[in-house]
Amino acid sequence: MKALFAAALLVVGAAAPATTQDSASIFPFPYEVVQLENGFRAYLIRAGAPGQIAYVSIVRTGSRDEVEAGKSGFAHFFEHMMFRGTEKYPQYDQITTQMGAARNASTSNDQTMYYLVAGSEYLEQIIDLESDRFQNLKYTDPDFRTEAGAILGEYQQGAREPGRFLSEKLLETAYLQHTYRHTVIGYEADVRAMPEGYEYSRSFYDRFYRPENVVLVLAGDFDVPGAKQLIAKYYAGWRPGYVPPAITPEPPQTAPREQTIEYPGRTLPVLSINYKAPAWSVDDTLSVALTVLGDIAFGSNSEIYRKLVLREGRLQSLGARFGLGRDPALVGVQATIARPDDVEAVKQELYGTAQQFQTTLVDPALLARTRSAIKYGFLMRLETAQDVAFSATQPIVSTGRLEALEQYYRTLQAVTPEHVRAAARKYLGESGRTTILMVQED
Amino acid sequence: MRAHNLLLGALALAALLSPAATLASGGQPLPATSGGTADERLITIPEPQSPFIAFGIWVKAGSAHDPAGKEGLAALTAALITSGGTEQDRYQAVLEKLYPMAAGYSGSADKEMTVFSGRTHKDNLEAYYALFRNALLAPAFASEDFERIKARTLNALERTRRYSRDEELSKDLLFWLAYQGTPYAHPGDGYVESVRRITLEDVKQFYREHYLRDGVVVAVGGGYPEGFPERVRRDFDALPAGSPAVIPAPRPKRPDGVKVLIVEKETDASAISLGFPIGVLRGQPDFVPLLAFNSWFGEHRNSFSHLYQVIREIRGMNYGDYSYIEAFPAGYATQQPRVNVARQSQLFEIWIRPISLTEPGNLHDRTLFATRAALHELKRVVDNGMSAADVETTRQFLRNYTVNWGNTISRRLAYALDDAFYGIPSPGYLQSLRPALAQLTPERINTAIRAHLQYDDLYLVLITADAEAMKQKLIRGEPTGITYAGERPAAVLAEDRQIAAYPLKVTAEDITILPIDQVFEK
Repeated sequence: MKALFAAALLVVGAAAPATTQDSASIFPFPYEVVQLENGFRAYLIRAGAPGQIAYVSIVRTGSRDEVEAGKSGFAHFFEHMMFRGTEKYPQYDQITTQMGAARNASTSNDQTMYYLVAGSEYLEQIIDLESDRFQNLKYTDPDFRTEAGAILGEYQQGAREPGRFLSEKLLETAYLQHTYRHTVIGYEADVRAMPEGYEYSRSFYDRFYRPENVVLVLAGDFDVPGAKQLIAKYYAGWRPGYVPPAITPEPPQTAPREQTIEYPGRTLPVLSINYKAPAWSVDDTLSVALTVLGDIAFGSNSEIYRKLVLREGRLQSLGARFGLGRDPALVGVQATIARPDDVEAVKQELYGTAQQFQTTLVDPALLARTRSAIKYGFLMRLETAQDVAFSATQPIVSTGRLEALEQYYRTLQAVTPEHVRAAARKYLGESGRTTILMVQED
Repeated sequence: MRAHNLLLGALALAALLSPAATLASGGQPLPATSGGTADERLITIPEPQSPFIAFGIWVKAGSAHDPAGKEGLAALTAALITSGGTEQDRYQAVLEKLYPMAAGYSGSADKEMTVFSGRTHKDNLEAYYALFRNALLAPAFASEDFERIKARTLNALERTRRYSRDEELSKDLLFWLAYQGTPYAHPGDGYVESVRRITLEDVKQFYREHYLRDGVVVAVGGGYPEGFPERVRRDFDALPAGSPAVIPAPRPKRPDGVKVLIVEKETDASAISLGFPIGVLRGQPDFVPLLAFNSWFGEHRNSFSHLYQVIREIRGMNYGDYSYIEAFPAGYATQQPRVNVARQSQLFEIWIRPISLTEPGNLHDRTLFATRAALHELKRVVDNGMSAADVETTRQFLRNYTVNWGNTISRRLAYALDDAFYGIPSPGYLQSLRPALAQLTPERINTAIRAHLQYDDLYLVLITADAEAMKQKLIRGEPTGITYAGERPAAVLAEDRQIAAYPLKVTAEDITILPIDQVFEK
């Protein structure tokens, strides 16, 4: 058996030296990578508290992959089913309870992520348990229907929040083809139809829960050579067979879109201005510059924030959202407006800000401070083993590789004021804009 | 100096990791020692290998100190400190200086404690600390900041609180009901009308009267330089002498029967909170036995919870069902226990997450079925006690699970502040949990359950549609059954019939109806 495991360890290399640290790198921990022949990859990071590990399995499938009509919200639903046990371990909850593990999962547009935080002594048991449910999940139709009820309950928790209401309408307006058109939780009608989806759920598992589509990040206090052997032992037998979904790309938007929606509750006017962004990239300088631009133009240190929120009090809040996705997602701002009669003027101010950065160059000193903010924003998140593992998510979801993180920060360092202006010209133009105004229903 | 010495953990970690890869200890139970001069107003947690320094400043005043008619003043004061300018910098300049450090600070005002927390990377300690210190010790209380924050707060009270998370609102209302006539009754953010009345002068006066030298406990942890915490303490000694008056412990009344508040709202899902006062606080002999019971019965956000198993896992009625022996505000936002909500009085609380209608007309039956299911299970455990097997499983679970509760420096500081509130001696609550759990027996737990829990007298809050119809259904006391989309085992269906008919002791006089737009108006 041992020989077989050795053969399965196609590449086992140190991505960073095990004992020293390249002073130029952003990620402050050495790590090693395990690459199996079936496509499964694991990153092993020594970090965090003594005696603890965080075991994070990232499935590169999210609501983005819900291409079939009527199946919105299914990636999230499936995340729930993963806790329903296997033939070997029918009681997943009971076993992890005995470990006293903190465990949960989450689903977003681009990923479904499962984590356990537990004592290091449980490492082999966790590898066994996790590799088993990713390969041999088993549940009955009645179990499936019961879980559908829990999903409906989860849907209801935030169903009447103004933010959810706005998101649904915004995505439907901004996207005509791509699956980013629906929210992660899905449409209510689809959520209510979920009990009938048992067969579909098996096909979902069969197509997406495959070794080529899952990356493990193990962070914490553990024996690295031992962990490598165990990962090979438990994951090498997983059969590949990932079937990429046929996601229809969004056709280029050629004209601005604008819509007013009425919220059935109480709210001040909320203005959401969005632009079509490029996909997350490690080496496309303009896409990295766009994230920098978002911070400078609309963040809490921006001139427009100072004017509209702090000095004039015309906005109760102004939030900038400039993170990118695996596919071209939306970036933009959301403003809560103090007086309904000020909506139009605020809108013109925010449009004007987007335009202003297309013509003027940002101050290099401000750019340097923004780079610092992004760097410390990353470092400040790295306190626990779980934080460290989670910090690896973005590059892994978008590229499958943690190594992309260093490339990303190298590109960030190279961003100039000219890049920022070029990003504004390319991405903050009128033609790619979607504006939603949410007001209170009469 | 009260030292929570986690140096051992940090050193062990240093041996495990390369020099560049050092993080703080994760709250493994370790021997803790006290050292230095005894100053109850300074808590330190040195973790020399950590790249972070964290702060926790406890001001011994909270919403229970709000003057009548000015409810929300403690919270507004804290908000003005964390989101306003200082004598040195306008707020805009504060934000500008914080920006390249990606750091910030926050404050939260609970009933009797307002705690300000901050954290920085060690690279930026001096620049960061100057801003944090000025915010707390030299707030400008500028009118432009006051107007901005008051407007934001009023919007939250008039609109967001009533139209976002009904489940959170139902919890606030449960405490409001249970603590009527005490300083704990009003929500920390205040009422719409009371906040409207607050002036900038009120804020300044609250600060002058409550932010006092001996009423402030300073906690510093992480990879700070030698002598730094003592310097922080000296800075805070610049506050005027004195300490705010301690509020007498509220004595909420045990209701006679089930007192119901129904909030009328257009909705197709109900929020449910219920509970009653208990006389046990952290640090007291019955606390850990009840903690173990509660973990088994309703561990927060955990499928280990028995209520979760009964209502969600077997019946698929909602997203989760939990119980509490200590206040747990904003539970939807966190997996971990809340810190710095230490109080002199607590409720036993059951939180049933929103119950949705599945067919037209069945919302109220499902709502009451879930409520009855929770009470049915509570009665069962109060009458019969926990089994030895369940006690053993719970002990095993908590032994490791509680290690995660102190997983960051900020949380370890926060627990140390709570220890100071409750008078829990070194090594503190977190470190004492494992040994205390090891000593638990089923008899010990069951004695505590019988002493403190019951199922007849409680407060119940429902936020739902058509409140009058719900009221009539409650008064009639008829069984409220549920149906399923698929087949269920006969045993579950038999139990369902018992649950559906579980008696709720309610009369018309016990029920109050409140329209949503009047909730917390005044």
